[in-house]
Amino acid sequence: MDDAERLFAANHHRLFRYFCRAAGSADTARDLTQDVFVRVTRTRPPAGTEMEVRAWLFRIARNLALDHHRQHHRRPEPATLVADPSRPASQDVNAAVNQALAALPAVDRDVFLLREVAGLGYDEIARACELTPDAVRSRIHRARLQLRERLAAPIATFQTLAVRRTQHAHETIEP
Amino acid sequence: MTSTHDVISALLDNEPFDPQELTDALSEPAGRALLIDLAALRQIVQPADAVPPIATARPAQRRPWQLLAAAAALLLALTGGYVAGTRQAVAPSTDAPPPTRIVQAVPFTPTGGTP
Repeated sequence: MDDAERLFAANHHRLFRYFCRAAGSADTARDLTQDVFVRVTRTRPPAGTEMEVRAWLFRIARNLALDHHRQHHRRPEPATLVADPSRPASQDVNAAVNQALAALPAVDRDVFLLREVAGLGYDEIARACELTPDAVRSRIHRARLQLRERLAAPIATFQTLAVRRTQHAHETIEP
Repeated sequence: MTSTHDVISALLDNEPFDPQELTDALSEPAGRALLIDLAALRQIVQPADAVPPIATARPAQRRPWQLLAAAAALLLALTGGYVAGTRQAVAPSTDAPPPTRIVQAVPFTPTGGTP
Protein backbone atom coordinates (compact mmCIF):
# COMPACT_ATOMS: atom_id res chain seq x y z
CA MET A 1 0.00 0.00 0.00
CA ASP A 2 1.57 3.28 -1.05
CA ASP A 3 1.12 6.76 0.46
CA ALA A 4 -1.91 7.61 -1.66
CA GLU A 5 -3.68 4.37 -0.78
CA ARG A 6 -2.88 4.78 2.89
CA LEU A 7 -4.22 8.33 2.85
CA PHE A 8 -7.41 7.22 1.13
CA ALA A 9 -7.90 4.24 3.44
CA ALA A 10 -7.51 6.44 6.51
CA ASN A 11 -10.11 8.92 5.29
CA HIS A 12 -12.52 7.04 3.09
CA HIS A 13 -15.27 6.89 5.74
CA ARG A 14 -15.04 10.66 6.24
CA LEU A 15 -15.18 11.21 2.49
CA PHE A 16 -18.18 8.95 2.07
CA ARG A 17 -20.09 10.65 4.89
CA TYR A 18 -19.28 14.09 3.53
CA PHE A 19 -20.47 13.10 0.03
CA CYS A 20 -23.66 11.53 1.43
CA ARG A 21 -24.77 14.94 2.60
CA ALA A 22 -23.02 17.06 -0.03
CA ALA A 23 -24.55 15.06 -2.91
CA GLY A 24 -27.67 13.91 -1.07
CA SER A 25 -27.49 10.24 -2.03
CA ALA A 26 -25.47 7.24 -0.89
CA ASP A 27 -25.07 5.90 -4.43
CA THR A 28 -23.57 9.16 -5.66
CA ALA A 29 -21.45 9.32 -2.52
CA ARG A 30 -19.99 5.90 -3.36
CA ASP A 31 -19.11 7.02 -6.88
CA LEU A 32 -17.61 10.30 -5.75
CA THR A 33 -15.58 8.58 -3.03
CA GLN A 34 -14.17 6.28 -5.70
CA ASP A 35 -13.42 9.28 -7.91
CA VAL A 36 -11.35 10.75 -5.09
CA PHE A 37 -9.39 7.51 -4.93
CA VAL A 38 -8.71 7.61 -8.67
CA ARG A 39 -7.52 11.22 -8.48
CA VAL A 40 -5.37 10.62 -5.44
CA THR A 41 -3.62 7.64 -7.01
CA ARG A 42 -2.94 9.57 -10.21
CA THR A 43 -1.22 12.40 -8.39
CA ARG A 44 1.37 12.24 -5.68
CA PRO A 45 0.02 13.54 -2.34
CA PRO A 46 1.89 16.69 -1.30
CA ALA A 47 4.55 16.53 1.36
CA GLY A 48 3.38 18.08 4.61
CA THR A 49 1.80 17.45 7.96
CA GLU A 50 -1.11 15.07 8.34
CA MET A 51 -3.43 18.06 8.59
CA GLU A 52 -2.10 19.60 5.36
CA VAL A 53 -2.39 16.36 3.44
CA ARG A 54 -5.93 15.75 4.66
CA ALA A 55 -6.87 19.30 3.72
CA TRP A 56 -5.52 18.58 0.22
CA LEU A 57 -7.58 15.39 0.05
CA PHE A 58 -10.76 17.22 1.03
CA ARG A 59 -10.05 20.02 -1.44
CA ILE A 60 -10.21 17.34 -4.14
CA ALA A 61 -13.42 16.00 -2.59
CA ARG A 62 -15.00 19.42 -2.43
CA ASN A 63 -14.13 20.16 -6.05
CA LEU A 64 -15.71 16.87 -7.10
CA ALA A 65 -18.85 17.68 -5.13
CA LEU A 66 -19.03 21.13 -6.74
CA ASP A 67 -18.54 19.62 -10.21
CA HIS A 68 -21.30 17.16 -9.45
CA HIS A 69 -23.67 19.96 -8.49
CA ARG A 70 -22.81 21.90 -11.64
CA GLN A 71 -23.29 18.89 -13.91
CA HIS A 72 -26.49 17.61 -12.40
CA HIS A 73 -28.09 20.78 -11.08
CA ARG A 74 -28.94 18.68 -8.09
CA ARG A 75 -29.33 21.51 -5.67
CA PRO A 76 -33.00 21.34 -4.80
CA GLU A 77 -34.92 24.48 -4.10
CA PRO A 78 -35.87 24.83 -0.48
CA ALA A 79 -39.48 23.85 -0.15
CA THR A 80 -41.96 23.26 2.59
CA LEU A 81 -41.91 19.64 3.55
CA VAL A 82 -45.14 17.76 3.41
CA ALA A 83 -45.33 14.88 5.84
CA ASP A 84 -45.94 11.63 4.02
CA PRO A 85 -47.55 9.06 6.35
CA SER A 86 -46.34 6.19 4.18
CA ARG A 87 -42.70 7.19 4.72
CA PRO A 88 -40.73 6.30 7.87
CA ALA A 89 -39.98 9.27 10.13
CA SER A 90 -36.23 8.81 9.63
CA GLN A 91 -36.67 9.35 5.88
CA ASP A 92 -38.60 12.52 6.54
CA VAL A 93 -35.81 13.79 8.77
CA ASN A 94 -33.25 12.83 6.16
CA ALA A 95 -35.13 14.70 3.45
CA ALA A 96 -35.60 17.72 5.72
CA VAL A 97 -31.88 17.79 6.50
CA ASN A 98 -30.97 17.59 2.81
CA GLN A 99 -33.36 20.40 1.97
CA ALA A 100 -32.14 22.58 4.79
CA LEU A 101 -28.54 22.00 3.71
CA ALA A 102 -29.42 22.78 0.10
CA ALA A 103 -30.84 26.13 1.18
CA LEU A 104 -27.49 27.21 2.63
CA PRO A 105 -24.92 29.10 0.57
CA ALA A 106 -22.53 26.56 -0.99
CA VAL A 107 -19.48 27.57 1.02
CA ASP A 108 -21.38 27.64 4.32
CA ARG A 109 -22.79 24.20 3.59
CA ASP A 110 -19.36 22.80 2.81
CA VAL A 111 -17.62 24.19 5.87
CA PHE A 112 -20.50 22.96 8.04
CA LEU A 113 -20.38 19.45 6.55
CA LEU A 114 -16.61 19.25 6.71
CA ARG A 115 -16.84 20.07 10.40
CA GLU A 116 -19.94 18.18 11.52
CA VAL A 117 -19.95 15.17 9.23
CA ALA A 118 -16.34 14.74 8.14
CA GLY A 119 -14.94 15.85 11.50
CA LEU A 120 -12.25 18.19 10.20
CA GLY A 121 -10.80 20.97 12.35
CA TYR A 122 -11.04 24.67 11.54
CA ASP A 123 -7.50 24.81 10.14
CA GLU A 124 -8.06 21.84 7.87
CA ILE A 125 -11.34 23.27 6.62
CA ALA A 126 -9.68 26.63 6.05
CA ARG A 127 -7.05 25.01 3.84
CA ALA A 128 -9.54 22.79 2.02
CA CYS A 129 -11.87 25.71 1.25
CA GLU A 130 -9.17 28.37 0.86
CA LEU A 131 -10.54 30.51 3.69
CA THR A 132 -9.10 31.84 6.91
CA PRO A 133 -9.83 29.93 10.15
CA ASP A 134 -11.82 32.94 11.38
CA ALA A 135 -13.96 32.87 8.25
CA VAL A 136 -14.52 29.15 8.79
CA ARG A 137 -15.61 29.72 12.39
CA SER A 138 -17.99 32.45 11.34
CA ARG A 139 -19.50 30.43 8.46
CA ILE A 140 -19.98 27.32 10.59
CA HIS A 141 -21.68 29.38 13.22
CA ARG A 142 -23.97 31.05 10.68
CA ALA A 143 -24.84 27.70 9.11
CA ARG A 144 -25.66 26.23 12.52
CA LEU A 145 -28.03 29.03 13.36
CA GLN A 146 -29.81 28.76 10.01
CA LEU A 147 -30.11 25.00 10.31
CA ARG A 148 -31.31 25.27 13.88
CA GLU A 149 -34.13 27.47 12.66
CA ARG A 150 -35.01 25.40 9.59
CA LEU A 151 -34.79 22.08 11.41
CA ALA A 152 -36.53 23.16 14.59
CA ALA A 153 -39.14 20.39 14.34
CA PRO A 154 -36.74 17.46 13.78
CA ILE A 155 -34.46 18.82 16.51
CA ALA A 156 -37.39 18.97 18.95
CA THR A 157 -38.46 15.44 18.00
CA PHE A 158 -34.93 14.16 18.45
CA GLN A 159 -34.72 15.73 21.90
CA THR A 160 -38.07 14.26 22.95
CA LEU A 161 -37.01 10.80 21.81
CA ALA A 162 -33.67 11.17 23.58
CA VAL A 163 -35.45 12.06 26.82
CA ARG A 164 -37.76 9.03 26.45
CA ARG A 165 -34.82 6.73 25.78
CA THR A 166 -33.03 8.05 28.85
CA GLN A 167 -36.12 7.58 31.03
CA HIS A 168 -36.60 4.07 29.67
CA ALA A 169 -32.96 3.23 30.41
CA HIS A 170 -33.35 4.49 33.98
CA GLU A 171 -36.51 2.44 34.46
CA THR A 172 -34.74 -0.65 33.16
CA ILE A 173 -31.80 -0.19 35.49
CA GLU A 174 -33.88 0.66 38.58
CA PRO A 175 -36.45 -2.08 39.33
CA MET B 1 -25.17 36.94 22.40
CA THR B 2 -22.43 36.52 19.82
CA SER B 3 -19.98 35.71 22.57
CA THR B 4 -22.41 33.09 23.91
CA HIS B 5 -22.66 31.54 20.46
CA ASP B 6 -18.93 31.66 19.88
CA VAL B 7 -18.01 29.97 23.11
CA ILE B 8 -20.62 27.25 22.65
CA SER B 9 -19.45 26.63 19.10
CA ALA B 10 -15.87 26.46 20.35
CA LEU B 11 -16.91 23.90 22.99
CA LEU B 12 -18.69 21.75 20.40
CA ASP B 13 -15.75 21.94 18.00
CA ASN B 14 -12.98 21.13 20.49
CA GLU B 15 -11.54 24.56 19.96
CA PRO B 16 -9.98 26.58 22.79
CA PHE B 17 -12.38 28.74 24.81
CA ASP B 18 -12.45 30.81 28.00
CA PRO B 19 -14.05 28.72 30.80
CA GLN B 20 -15.50 31.84 32.41
CA GLU B 21 -17.21 32.79 29.15
CA LEU B 22 -18.65 29.29 28.95
CA THR B 23 -19.91 29.50 32.51
CA ASP B 24 -21.58 32.82 31.73
CA ALA B 25 -23.07 31.44 28.52
CA LEU B 26 -24.51 28.37 30.24
CA SER B 27 -25.93 30.39 33.08
CA GLU B 28 -28.47 31.81 30.63
CA PRO B 29 -31.41 29.63 29.51
CA ALA B 30 -30.82 30.73 25.91
CA GLY B 31 -27.22 29.53 26.09
CA ARG B 32 -28.25 26.14 27.44
CA ALA B 33 -30.97 25.80 24.82
CA LEU B 34 -28.46 26.64 22.11
CA LEU B 35 -26.00 24.01 23.32
CA ILE B 36 -28.71 21.34 23.46
CA ASP B 37 -30.08 22.26 20.04
CA LEU B 38 -26.66 22.26 18.39
CA ALA B 39 -25.83 18.90 19.94
CA ALA B 40 -29.12 17.52 18.56
CA LEU B 41 -28.42 19.15 15.19
CA ARG B 42 -25.07 17.36 15.07
CA GLN B 43 -26.86 14.06 15.59
CA ILE B 44 -29.57 14.51 13.00
CA VAL B 45 -27.23 15.64 10.19
CA GLN B 46 -25.18 12.43 10.40
CA PRO B 47 -25.92 10.29 7.34
CA ALA B 48 -27.62 7.01 8.15
CA ASP B 49 -26.05 5.16 5.24
CA ALA B 50 -23.49 2.53 6.12
CA VAL B 51 -19.99 3.26 4.93
CA PRO B 52 -19.21 0.84 2.08
CA PRO B 53 -16.14 -1.38 2.30
CA ILE B 54 -13.03 0.31 1.10
CA ALA B 55 -12.37 -0.24 -2.60
CA THR B 56 -8.82 0.45 -3.58
CA ALA B 57 -8.74 -1.29 -6.93
CA ARG B 58 -6.40 0.86 -8.91
CA PRO B 59 -7.50 1.78 -12.38
CA ALA B 60 -5.51 -0.02 -15.07
CA GLN B 61 -2.26 1.88 -15.06
CA ARG B 62 0.20 1.31 -17.87
CA ARG B 63 3.83 1.00 -16.88
CA PRO B 64 6.49 2.57 -19.14
CA TRP B 65 7.80 -0.83 -20.25
CA GLN B 66 4.28 -1.82 -21.30
CA LEU B 67 4.00 1.27 -23.49
CA LEU B 68 7.43 0.56 -24.98
CA ALA B 69 6.51 -3.06 -25.72
CA ALA B 70 3.25 -1.94 -27.35
CA ALA B 71 5.10 0.58 -29.53
CA ALA B 72 7.69 -2.05 -30.55
CA ALA B 73 4.97 -4.55 -31.46
CA LEU B 74 3.20 -1.94 -33.56
CA LEU B 75 6.43 -1.02 -35.36
CA LEU B 76 7.20 -4.69 -36.04
CA ALA B 77 3.73 -5.28 -37.42
CA LEU B 78 3.94 -2.26 -39.70
CA THR B 79 7.41 -3.20 -40.97
CA GLY B 80 6.39 -6.81 -41.55
CA GLY B 81 3.30 -5.73 -43.40
CA TYR B 82 5.27 -3.38 -45.57
CA VAL B 83 7.90 -5.99 -46.47
CA ALA B 84 5.29 -8.64 -47.22
CA GLY B 85 3.41 -6.17 -49.34
CA THR B 86 6.40 -5.19 -51.43
CA ARG B 87 7.29 -8.83 -52.08
CA GLN B 88 3.90 -9.79 -53.33
CA ALA B 89 3.15 -6.68 -55.31
CA VAL B 90 3.24 -6.82 -59.14
CA ALA B 91 6.06 -4.70 -60.46
CA PRO B 92 4.69 -1.75 -62.32
CA SER B 93 5.52 -1.78 -66.05
CA THR B 94 5.15 0.69 -68.89
CA ASP B 95 5.16 -2.05 -71.58
CA ALA B 96 1.94 -3.10 -73.26
CA PRO B 97 0.58 -6.45 -72.13
CA PRO B 98 1.20 -9.45 -74.44
CA PRO B 99 -1.58 -10.11 -76.98
CA THR B 100 -4.02 -12.87 -76.20
CA ARG B 101 -5.49 -13.06 -79.73
CA ILE B 102 -3.90 -12.18 -83.04
CA VAL B 103 -6.07 -11.17 -85.96
CA GLN B 104 -4.37 -11.13 -89.32
CA ALA B 105 -5.28 -8.16 -91.46
CA VAL B 106 -6.21 -9.17 -95.05
CA PRO B 107 -5.47 -6.55 -97.74
CA PHE B 108 -8.61 -5.25 -99.44
CA THR B 109 -9.13 -6.36 -103.02
CA PRO B 110 -12.08 -5.03 -104.98
CA THR B 111 -13.93 -7.93 -106.69
CA GLY B 112 -16.21 -6.26 -109.19
CA GLY B 113 -18.10 -3.15 -110.19
CA THR B 114 -17.52 -0.56 -112.89
CA PRO B 115 -15.06 2.20 -112.52
